[in-house]
Amino acid sequence: MTVDATSAILPAPGHSLADANDATPPALRLVDVNLAATVEQASVGSDPYRIDADGAPYVPVGDGGIVLGVRLGDGVWQHPGDHAAPGACLVHPDPAAGYALSAQACIGNVVTVRTGAAAGLTGVVTGKRGEGGRVIATFPQDTLRRLRPGDQVAVRGRGTGANDPAPGVTIRNIDPDLLAVLPVTVGPEAVTAGVRAVLPSKLVGNGIGRPTPMWDLDLQLNASSARRYDAAGLRLGDLVAITDLDARYNAGYRRGWVTVGLVVHGGSPQPGHGPGVTAILIGPAGSLRAAADPAGHHGLSEEAALDAVRDLL
Amino acid sequence: MLVTSNAGQLVTQVLAGEVWPPLADRHGFRVDPDGHAFLLPGMGGVTLGAHCGDPATGYAADHLEPGLSVRHRDPAANYALQYLTCVGNTVVVTSGPAAGSEGFVIGQHAYVLVDMPEQALRGVTAGDQVTVFAVGQGLTLLEHPAIKVKNCSPRLLAALAGGTGRCGTLQVHVAARVPAEAIGAGAGMASEYANTDLMGAYEVGGEELSLGLHGLRIGDVVAMTDTDHRYGRGYREGWLSIGVISTGSGRLFGHGPGPSTIMSGPADAFTIIDDPHANLAVLAQALPQKENA
Repeated sequence: MTVDATSAILPAPGHSLADANDATPPALRLVDVNLAATVEQASVGSDPYRIDADGAPYVPVGDGGIVLGVRLGDGVWQHPGDHAAPGACLVHPDPAAGYALSAQACIGNVVTVRTGAAAGLTGVVTGKRGEGGRVIATFPQDTLRRLRPGDQVAVRGRGTGANDPAPGVTIRNIDPDLLAVLPVTVGPEAVTAGVRAVLPSKLVGNGIGRPTPMWDLDLQLNASSARRYDAAGLRLGDLVAITDLDARYNAGYRRGWVTVGLVVHGGSPQPGHGPGVTAILIGPAGSLRAAADPAGHHGLSEEAALDAVRDLL
Repeated sequence: MLVTSNAGQLVTQVLAGEVWPPLADRHGFRVDPDGHAFLLPGMGGVTLGAHCGDPATGYAADHLEPGLSVRHRDPAANYALQYLTCVGNTVVVTSGPAAGSEGFVIGQHAYVLVDMPEQALRGVTAGDQVTVFAVGQGLTLLEHPAIKVKNCSPRLLAALAGGTGRCGTLQVHVAARVPAEAIGAGAGMASEYANTDLMGAYEVGGEELSLGLHGLRIGDVVAMTDTDHRYGRGYREGWLSIGVISTGSGRLFGHGPGPSTIMSGPADAFTIIDDPHANLAVLAQALPQKENA
């Protein structure tokens, strides 16, 4: 991120509740929370098969749990899988605590393993997934190999409640400090995001109508149909913009608005599903501008994400 | 509909269901498109005053489920009830003061939704038992192998206008055509379960939310552009799904009046005919009139 004016993201020193009646609301201080989570075990029903968009059965691979060999920067259709995420999914056995985990964890939060062979090692939150509330955490591959489903981790949650980065632009699901490593420019009047692709809202499948702090937005694209939208090169960690979509609360159609999100998991053969996007910036198109670079875009890399949390340890 | 099918070979299963109460959590409120809190009735239980042919929007309601909302207490038995029940199936109330009253299924919405004459509805409340005569899954149109029929009873198929046209396509009369931009919650789910919420027909918010769907009526037959609902609800250019509006007003953002899917196939297998009378009310008119004290 580059800031070409005084950033509205950071809390302004000296502000207090006494400023509440000022014309400009004070920048509120974010609180950090330590959240307990468990490394997920992938699970399926009694039937091994799911049905793809053409009616063919397949066995889902990579849908949740610990997935080795899928990394930020990989193509979303590079690995045959179903919703495969780069790293491990974190859950909580109590459903309500699981929703709180997904609502309060943000992209860029540090994850510390507390039990098992990887105890003491760290990773970073790189996304969220819907239906039950799952947090996606990326670890170095040698850490991932030592992780085991059931291992306990702590997520240092920070970011939920962050102030608008520019007037009318809402930030969600990301520690505002992490914007610094993304192609995002915050100006006094608008935020500009470099993205891999600008996509129409009609491509959003699962996740539409759901609360975006707990649910990602699946893009109904496959390797073939993506070419029509200049999105064949879509990679994990990319930023994408979705037009006519307002994802501040639930995600829904709103003409003239834009949602920018991070690509957090890979494609899916299921109808209505596909690569997942966790919404991070939302606003009217005049205040949130997206610049597409289908070939040269660089989103969130594993190195940058892990580097960003190193200082927090 | 003038079309040959395997309707004569289908079996009927007799399924038990229960009118399920509306559910809430202790915080009460939910969030509308502009972030405002709301608390509204409409989902679950018995909802009076909204029947096939009535407007789908314009109510102070959220997820308006006309008539009875029916589930089964056992999860697996409930899935069977939700998956096997088809639009147009006969439902009979079997307990309570309205026992013996008859209605018909208008769709699924994680509940089986049942329209009944208003007089009969007045005597039903949550907890009352119903029997569903489930028939329709497996229905096949012999001249239209590319079109997958689902959630459609033989009775509905017979009552719909249209049929096989001279050029070999299936003529379907629809009251509205739904653009792909309007497809909301329900995308990515099995098309035998719940329905597709349509966005852009809210009672609140500005013009930038509208997708021109405020004229929908409960029971309207609609065509959903660029959707393939054969094996789940997904976006697919050049495909088409036919649904019937089974739910009304939705205040929750990304939700709204919704069709239950009855057919899906390549768009060129259909000829769509705009017809404001394309509505499930044709089934209500065919219902035997029963008096219930």
